[in-house]
Amino acid sequence: MRFMVMVKATKDSEAGAPPSRELLEAMMAYNEELVKAGIMKGGDGLQPSSKGARVQFDGAKRAVVDGPFAETKELVAGYWLWECASLDEAIAWVKRCPNPMPGPSEIEIRPLFELADFGEIVTPETAAQWDRLKAESESQG
Amino acid sequence: MRVMVLVKASKDSEAGVMPDPDVFAKMGAYNEELIKAGILLAAEGLQPTSKGLRMRFSGSERAITDGPFAETKELLAGFWLWQVKSFDEAVEWLKRAPFDGGTEIELRPVFEMEDFGDMVTPERRERKDNLRAAFEKHSG
Repeated sequence: MRFMVMVKATKDSEAGAPPSRELLEAMMAYNEELVKAGIMKGGDGLQPSSKGARVQFDGAKRAVVDGPFAETKELVAGYWLWECASLDEAIAWVKRCPNPMPGPSEIEIRPLFELADFGEIVTPETAAQWDRLKAESESQG
Repeated sequence: MRVMVLVKASKDSEAGVMPDPDVFAKMGAYNEELIKAGILLAAEGLQPTSKGLRMRFSGSERAITDGPFAETKELLAGFWLWQVKSFDEAVEWLKRAPFDGGTEIELRPVFEMEDFGDMVTPERRERKDNLRAAFEKHSG
């Protein structure tokens, strides 16, 4: 099963405070463990929402709202993509994660949809297109 | 630069309602365009929060709360990772996405190694490069 593991934002991450050297080292070591275990499929840190924007869709209209956004603890500050045997395995790995923030923080674990989960709406054409997308995006990555 | 495009949840996505086949096909065509333009690095959909959980970190404590979570419009339902020349290019591409009324999508630049400045020693850069090569080999 594949999972998205999201680190939620805090006041520190939204303020653009860089991680301490200790935290950076601890995270590097943790990431190396994830790679060695064959779990890590990707991951990134996101810049504060002050550097981002939202686009609101309404019919043909598109409204752009610049960041920062207020609801700090609901924002995402970073994520990993993992391949684990089960949700329990993902939980066990998250428990071993160094606290990603200087103060209290929260990590959300969410299973990803696989193409098979979409059932009958997936035509053979869509399935072929999806395979192509995966292959090409992997070669671009 | 790389930009993460975050698709927010809706009542339907949280209820596990499958997309309309027509919308699904339109999204497939849009993804094709992104691929042809060399922009698309990744695209994933997340299962409803009822299938997920949150873990709270405080000191050495780890507290788990099972989903579902209430604040639907702040939850994530899916994302793309795009490679673009500028943030404006990402905004322009997003405007062309086939979403309905009421949808809100968030764009966030991704940190690159350079953004960490002085903290990135040559040793750290090498470790990071090795890490990336290793997980590319694993996921390849």
